Amino acid sequence: MRATVQRLTLPFLIFVSALLAVLGKADVLLFDRVRVVLADTLAPVLQVAGEPIVTVSKAIGTVKEAASVYRENQELKLANQRLMQWQEVARRLESENEELRNLVKFAPQGAVSSVAAQVIADSGGAFLRNILVNVGQSEGVTRGQPALTGDGLVGRVIELGDRTARILLLTDINSHIPVVVEGTHERAMLNGDNSDQPRLVYFQPKTPVKPGDHIVTSGSGGVFPPDLPVGVVVSVNGVIRVEPYADLARLEMVRIVNYGLDGVLPDGAMPAPPPIGGGRSRTTSAR
Amino acid sequence: MPYSRNRDYFGFVARMVPGTTTILFALLSLLPFHVPSFGSIAPGFALMAVFHWSVYRPDLLPLSVVFLAGLLLDLLNGTPYVGLSALVLLLVRTGVLSQRRVFSHRPFSILWLGFFGAAVGAFALEWAFVSLMQVHAMTPRPFVFQTLITTACFPIGSYLLALAHRAMPALSA
Repeated sequence: MRATVQRLTLPFLIFVSALLAVLGKADVLLFDRVRVVLADTLAPVLQVAGEPIVTVSKAIGTVKEAASVYRENQELKLANQRLMQWQEVARRLESENEELRNLVKFAPQGAVSSVAAQVIADSGGAFLRNILVNVGQSEGVTRGQPALTGDGLVGRVIELGDRTARILLLTDINSHIPVVVEGTHERAMLNGDNSDQPRLVYFQPKTPVKPGDHIVTSGSGGVFPPDLPVGVVVSVNGVIRVEPYADLARLEMVRIVNYGLDGVLPDGAMPAPPPIGGGRSRTTSAR
Repeated sequence: MPYSRNRDYFGFVARMVPGTTTILFALLSLLPFHVPSFGSIAPGFALMAVFHWSVYRPDLLPLSVVFLAGLLLDLLNGTPYVGLSALVLLLVRTGVLSQRRVFSHRPFSILWLGFFGAAVGAFALEWAFVSLMQVHAMTPRPFVFQTLITTACFPIGSYLLALAHRAMPALSA
């Protein structure tokens, strides 16, 4: 009897895992709940375990920085000069802007609040681009909120626990973000494909896009506010690719921002997921 | 157990070492490494642990633990295919067990080569599965990169596991 059980364990477990992997797509909600609880429980462990890694990478960073202090200093002096000029321009524009606002009685967008979050886990897989951060519902984070670094957009919250949130990076194959090309106001979608540079897909190309064009969110769909910096076009041969401003491979801290938007449907408000093999994206896209 | 020929006796704590290290290695691959030019792809540490223990002490790494380690990894890394890692790790264990004679009492280079083979198989399987589920061939580059980086990091993982392995008799006392 014991021998039979032992002989059947392997085929049984292989069958169960294959079944789960195939069905998982059909019943995401159950897994979502399990994994949120698990992530919440293990968050302190991951955070503590991550500390030495942060220390080591900081040390490496310090050594690298020390080596380039002189050159950087020269560069900074130049950059500082340039920025002083820009500051001058900004001051002038600010006062001009204020005058014009007074003129048209323009009301600026609603209050914005943000929470800083530490990255505690990285999916690290070949076909996944997401991160786990150490803030959640208890800090007022809700699903769909954008995550930013000082450089630009990182992604948005797709899963929410009490103390953790999972952020789908804009490079993930399930990420679709409505964007515009700055200057031409050409609307497009920025679709991740798990590579470091997501693809820009146009609806109706009128003005050709060229390397160096800046991409910002369009605000369509109500998930992201308009004009968040996303990235810069780097190649246009056949596939248009965008290099995100944020360094997605080395995220340590992100800011999750509440713009008071509610473009993402709450849990349970979604229709049943499509049958297996039917849909290509697991999560609701930002359309 | 048909494949356990070791006569040494290990206490309860020592017997837990292979399973515990496998679970820990699964968690290790989730930690955010910010090492410059490391990229967003982490080495498959769980694969190293399953490979190592399948070669040296398969009797102390039950199938259920391999399954759980894979499941834990999938639940924590946010994959839509929960169970895929479990499947891959179970298949790697089965494959390694069938080739165990090739690896035991051989130089490390043979073991390393064997691990490379296992990693190629594992990540090729993942690639094929995800491509099938997405109904679209995924770009193979990240998978190739993950295979290479996992193989490159294998000596480190193997060294840590060997340390744990050597500590087992002491833990039994």
